[in-house]
Amino acid sequence: MTVGGYVCCGLAGAGMLLQVVAGPVRWGMMAWPVNGIVLAVLLLSVVAMHLCRSRVRLFRWMATLQAGIPALVACAMMTVLMGVTRQVPSGHVPMEPIGITAMLSFWPFVLLYVWLMALVGMVCMTRLTRPAWRNVPFLLNHLGIFIALVCGTLGNADMQRLHMMVREGTTEWRAVDELHRVKELPVAIELHDFFIEEAPLRYLSDVTVYTKKGLVLRDTLRVNKPLAVRGWKIYQYGYDESKGAESDISIFELVRDPWLPFVYLGIFMMLAGAGCLFLQSGTLRKKEQRQNEMPSERNVEISK
Amino acid sequence: MENWNDFWLFALPAVVCWTVASLLSLRGKGQKLVYLSAIGGLLIFGAYIALMWISLERPPLRTMGETRLWYSFFLPLVGLVTYSRWRYRWILLFSTMLSTVFICVNLFKPEIHSKMLMPALQSPWFAPHVIVYMFAYATTGAAMLMSLWQLIRRQNLLDAIDGLTRVGLSFLTVGMLFGALWAKEAWGTYWSWDPKETWAAATWLCYLIYLHLRIGRPAAVRPALLWQVICFLCLQMCWWGINYLPAAQGASAHTYS
Repeated sequence: MTVGGYVCCGLAGAGMLLQVVAGPVRWGMMAWPVNGIVLAVLLLSVVAMHLCRSRVRLFRWMATLQAGIPALVACAMMTVLMGVTRQVPSGHVPMEPIGITAMLSFWPFVLLYVWLMALVGMVCMTRLTRPAWRNVPFLLNHLGIFIALVCGTLGNADMQRLHMMVREGTTEWRAVDELHRVKELPVAIELHDFFIEEAPLRYLSDVTVYTKKGLVLRDTLRVNKPLAVRGWKIYQYGYDESKGAESDISIFELVRDPWLPFVYLGIFMMLAGAGCLFLQSGTLRKKEQRQNEMPSERNVEISK
Repeated sequence: MENWNDFWLFALPAVVCWTVASLLSLRGKGQKLVYLSAIGGLLIFGAYIALMWISLERPPLRTMGETRLWYSFFLPLVGLVTYSRWRYRWILLFSTMLSTVFICVNLFKPEIHSKMLMPALQSPWFAPHVIVYMFAYATTGAAMLMSLWQLIRRQNLLDAIDGLTRVGLSFLTVGMLFGALWAKEAWGTYWSWDPKETWAAATWLCYLIYLHLRIGRPAAVRPALLWQVICFLCLQMCWWGINYLPAAQGASAHTYS
């Protein structure tokens, strides 16, 4: 476990160095295809390290709790540090020279979490290559967090949240992002009619949605009833409040989050894993201990 | 119409029931009476929560006072389940005492609140999210108390502590993920690292460490028990500590009380 601690300290140190030299992590650069490449590299290195584990002691060690527990402790410490410092809103520069007020872009934080995920990936490989029913809860938990965290983090840069304002009787295909930059979309919305149902204070938009590929959809949009078109989700967002019920303008929010299905896959795996943990809460301990002590004993033999 | 003024009418008989059950189980007598009395207390207290729910026209889960209500309910429940499974004679007394502390806080320092639930909380996700968390808090709270007991009295309770921690962690996980799914639906992002979420992540990691420590180093009992206390402190920070944390002021979407 001491070795694991040293590795984490080393990563934190290297992260500090990077922070000073290169500045905070620029997550914006992760947009497709960069995040796809990073994911491929991560997965391939995990597989490669797993395949080389009989020759390289480090890779063997990465799948053990001796490596995992210090990594968990390091990540917990970074998270607590984040919890006790005031954070700037995402995308802003930190308000002090070290960078801990923008923790998500703080290199030591990022490197330690990457390390933890690499270890989780390695330990998943050891179970995946020895399929057995008893590994299912383990894989649901570990693979679940791996998928959810890796895809959620990498996919964040691809998420788009735009606002589109459409006047009655017109068709619009341009929208603005959070920084008020105009974007042209592959989806266009024609607003036939906008009206407010006074009694339940619901507002509705009668629209036709067109896509570049020639798809045409007529529907009524209202709050909490979004429309899904070609990877975009269209929400009823607002209207011209100065005119109230007479408004001839409807505002839509368009959200695109292409990595979301993977994040949900991870989340549902974790939910199932938590269910397994609950059901086995009384019986699991001894079995798990046996399972986990065996590989490390074998490792010792190999390394001799 | 049920309100906080009538709270003592339910709380007092419930505490009496739980105390009777505790004393009986401590003496190792009258198994049937232990269960009868403990369940009776739960029914009385549960009835108050149900009546509050009806009269408020929303689940009583919004303020610290209301969440303490659930905590006072779940603690004896977890105590009873633990008792029925592992037969620790003192566990009921423990959970009753802790529950009584929360009841007293509610009796003497009630946080009176408005009737309407704010729009962001009017969601079918709200009740499961908070009830699951309250159950997790009660379970991990019981695990922490047992850890303290073992540290002080040197009685081996590890099986129960591990079991309760596993149950607690599974509920923490479910509560956290329900929160993420809800947030995605309501705000468009499943995780935004607001202070409550950050501390929830830290707490979750701490309990993960406990679990892995017990598996990887089963002989390191004392560090594991001490770690339980750290986990619980982290949990308190997440539950109510952030309300007093300067770094979290005005930054959390979770401060409704």
